[in-house]
Amino acid sequence: MIELGIAVVLVVTGYIFGSAAERRHFKSIVQREQEMNELAAVASRFPPQDTAWRQQLVTGNVVIASDYFKTFTASLINIFGGKVTPFESLIDRARREALLRMKANAKSLGADYVFNVKYNTSRISQFGAGAIEVMAYGTALSTPDQPVLNVTDEV
Amino acid sequence: MKFENRQPREGINTTREHPLKRFAIVLGSAAVLVTLLVVSLQLAGGWIARKVPFRYEQLALEQTDIQLGSDNASEALTAWLNQLAEKVAHGLDMPEEIEITVHYDRDNVFNAFATIGGQLVFYRGLLSQMPNENALAMVMAHEIAHVLHRDPLAGLGGGLSSMLALTALTGQSGTGAAASILNQTGLLTGVQFTRSMENAADRAALAAVNTVYGHINGADTLFRLTGAERDDSAIPTWLERFASTHPLDDDRVRAIRQMADERGYASSGALTPLPAQFKQWLDDE
Repeated sequence: MIELGIAVVLVVTGYIFGSAAERRHFKSIVQREQEMNELAAVASRFPPQDTAWRQQLVTGNVVIASDYFKTFTASLINIFGGKVTPFESLIDRARREALLRMKANAKSLGADYVFNVKYNTSRISQFGAGAIEVMAYGTALSTPDQPVLNVTDEV
Repeated sequence: MKFENRQPREGINTTREHPLKRFAIVLGSAAVLVTLLVVSLQLAGGWIARKVPFRYEQLALEQTDIQLGSDNASEALTAWLNQLAEKVAHGLDMPEEIEITVHYDRDNVFNAFATIGGQLVFYRGLLSQMPNENALAMVMAHEIAHVLHRDPLAGLGGGLSSMLALTALTGQSGTGAAASILNQTGLLTGVQFTRSMENAADRAALAAVNTVYGHINGADTLFRLTGAERDDSAIPTWLERFASTHPLDDDRVRAIRQMADERGYASSGALTPLPAQFKQWLDDE
């Protein structure tokens, strides 16, 4: 009975705090995506050949923890199969956040573009509710005469 | 060449659905699944167990070296308890192959139980509180009825197979919380079965006591004793009624009265005292 009570409290807490955090995060992501829109990050490996670009590796990574509600629902979905919808939004947040951080990194180097963008993902925690890491990386291209802006403090 | 990023449309990589909706669907389905699983396994396990000949139960018990009762229990007490069991068994219409053996355990636990092979164990804590033979005979008849109904083996069969299935199922689901909720659902389903066994044993025991003594006076003593003990517990009655392996004591007293009325059992009659040395036997080596 006590176990049951603990489980219910964890799930309710996970739902309340987890969905509040998710709503806040999505709001911030959408806003920052609009702000970063001018800096294009593309998957292409072939940058325009007309400039002698300065090339630098840029990365952005984020670790996001699942909450008890998500993990609980997902583990029940495991029994029946189907889309694991609670994790879809978690992964989406992590991927977009990683890309935004990568772009922020590129912007601080005064880049015009980021080419050859790729994602990497790994599972951080085996225990409890679990957490995932997503890393976005690419090659930032800037014109050689571009001054390097030091805006890391803003990130 | 111009490169650009456009704002992606929301909801392509995520499913637009209220999280609680999905939660309710999977939790409900899992609860139904576990309930069906446990119900069918309890039924099947119990059914198969009851088909097993009684002598296999005895053989199985011989294979184990479980010590039942205290080894230095008073011989006089053990002999008397076994005589009482024989006396009560006459009222229960026992098939010939079923043999009852009663053991005495010196632990001060308020309990008595029946296990496979017709073995009964009575604890000091229960015996020391018995005011007369009639009260003890009811408990004895109740435990013998469990043996007669093959409940110990059925409980093992149904319980073990459900537990295996639950472990297999919850072992697959990642978090402790999900496993715990599914296990609780399974356990709650399981106790409904043991409760129906208890009720059946109560009914058979009451009929036996009436046959042996000609009345049922003193038969509800046990439940009055346990009921008084449990009155201080903080668990609400409705929850205890739903989650307990045994029927509530008040419900059992009521059920006994109702059954006595229906069948016309006499509820008053002379009580048979316990043997004079009974209290002394409890502590004798």
